[in-house]
Amino acid sequence: MSADSLSILWLTIRIATAATFFVGIPGIAIGYLLARYDFRGKSLVSALTGLPLVLPPTAVGLLLLRLFAFDGPLNAMGIDLDVLLTWRAAVVASAVMSLPLVVRTARVAFDGVDPRLESMSRTLGHGRMRTLFGTTLPLARRGLIAALILGFTRALGEFGATVTVAGNIPGKTQTLASGISAAQQAGDDARATMLMSVALVLGFAAILSAEHLSRRRGESSAR
Amino acid sequence: MSTTRSATEGGAIGSLDVNIQLPLDRFELDVSFTSTGQVTGVFGASGSGKTSLLESVAGLRRQARGQICFDGESWLSDSPRLFLGPERRHVGYVPQDGLLFPHLDVRGNLLAGARRAARHGGHEGTFDTVIALLELESLLGREVHGLSGGERQRVALGRALCSGPRLLLLDEPLASLDLPMRRRLLPFLQRMRQEFQIPMLLVSHDPLEVQALCDDLIVLRAGRMIARGQPQAVLTDPEVFPLAAQEGFENVLQCTMEDSSESGLRVWLGTGDRRVALTLLHAGDQARIQPGPKLVGIPAHEIIIATEAPQGLSARNLLAARVTAIHRSEPLALIETRLAADDTPVTVEVTADTPSQLELQTGRQVYLVIKAASCRLYDDGSQVHS
Repeated sequence: MSADSLSILWLTIRIATAATFFVGIPGIAIGYLLARYDFRGKSLVSALTGLPLVLPPTAVGLLLLRLFAFDGPLNAMGIDLDVLLTWRAAVVASAVMSLPLVVRTARVAFDGVDPRLESMSRTLGHGRMRTLFGTTLPLARRGLIAALILGFTRALGEFGATVTVAGNIPGKTQTLASGISAAQQAGDDARATMLMSVALVLGFAAILSAEHLSRRRGESSAR
Repeated sequence: MSTTRSATEGGAIGSLDVNIQLPLDRFELDVSFTSTGQVTGVFGASGSGKTSLLESVAGLRRQARGQICFDGESWLSDSPRLFLGPERRHVGYVPQDGLLFPHLDVRGNLLAGARRAARHGGHEGTFDTVIALLELESLLGREVHGLSGGERQRVALGRALCSGPRLLLLDEPLASLDLPMRRRLLPFLQRMRQEFQIPMLLVSHDPLEVQALCDDLIVLRAGRMIARGQPQAVLTDPEVFPLAAQEGFENVLQCTMEDSSESGLRVWLGTGDRRVALTLLHAGDQARIQPGPKLVGIPAHEIIIATEAPQGLSARNLLAARVTAIHRSEPLALIETRLAADDTPVTVEVTADTPSQLELQTGRQVYLVIKAASCRLYDDGSQVHS
């Protein structure tokens, strides 16, 4: 593997990891809210967090571009993140794109926890927080890890939104996905194939571990 | 404060005062009572609101309105508006399916509420007592998904006891088990009742269970209380009896066993001069049954009533009794009697025209004829079967 494709792999993993961190806690929290509480605007929250799943990624990218532009609403509020065309923009874009997967998978994981077990914990003297950390999260653990892995894999392969806000700058914002596209368009078949093989191995490993976790979860909840 | 200790030292048992309204799917639960004994039973057909009542007392039904007060402490009140969360009510809740934590092993489950017990002190030794009482020693390291139904329920009972509860809420703790297992676990509940003396609210649709455990019985139908009082008297109430007799009504008698004789099993009803022997058959290994207090069940329809002492009968047991009440509920009549030996109430089920044919009336001396094979001994499973 060339030093060049190695550095692309490294950047891709860094971006996907940062995006997973970025989206993990809010995604799991939203999944918990959707699974456990009925509140006004619940379906709106559910729809909004699901939107990146159905919109063309380039549309999401364009939305982010407008949001972060120097004449955009964030700047108008005095917030200048200066992220456009940097690797941080790629993190934001892939985080937004993986949010729906994290929220949905986490929601399913929490749905799978019998609320009566939470009630039982309460009657044993544990307050809401202790019940959340001592009962709900441990019981949803496997599903939550699967949610994070799915979010991570989504971020790994993100292309449309990332290219729109972060560009495709070799050595700076070029990831596996945008690198393959660039190599293929430039007619560099060898490089495209090399990057494609790296992506294949990485994706395969991620999916296998997610499957492994969700299968073991299925076994334990069948009891 | 140590609930266990103060109770075993003879302290007053906390009384539970309930007056609640809770809208359910098909009717409103509207119940008002103050517990008087140690164990209050809640009896009724399924869907009569028993579980909702128990969950309201546990604090798991936020929609409940009215008052709940335990031992002078208000748990629920309309004015001033108050709802004490379940974690602050100090109850030990045991649902029908045990509801063990699948991510913890048996020891972890038993200790799940131990922090609360420790916080309130006085429970050193409770864990060991519970382990011994419910015979959980060999299960401690096991995962909960490998447990049998009976083992699960014992762990669930143990977990509730180890959490230092002031009040035990048992929701059909044996109903998910098959009949022989239910009978085997009953003595555990009795031991629990005796050893810990914690007040209990026991939901059940098993007449045997409520007779064996409860001092006081409440009967619910469609969310309302339709009868209340001493268990045997309530169960033979014509309104309640059809419900109690669904699986065949069984009289439950307390008795004592001295030692197992060679000619079948013998237990004693009552004490002193008036005590009488009862001979019974037992399917298990007789030699393993330990002497001590036992329960005997006698189905009401298997007892024959005689106005004179009969001669030349094959039946092994002839008990003198007196009629205390006669209820007719076509096509049957229920004759309530009390044994001469110890005043234990025994209900006999006969056809509707029998009381008039035999000229039975309240106060009349009669004899109860009972075959040895009709008497079932309820003994600790571990002693009989292990």
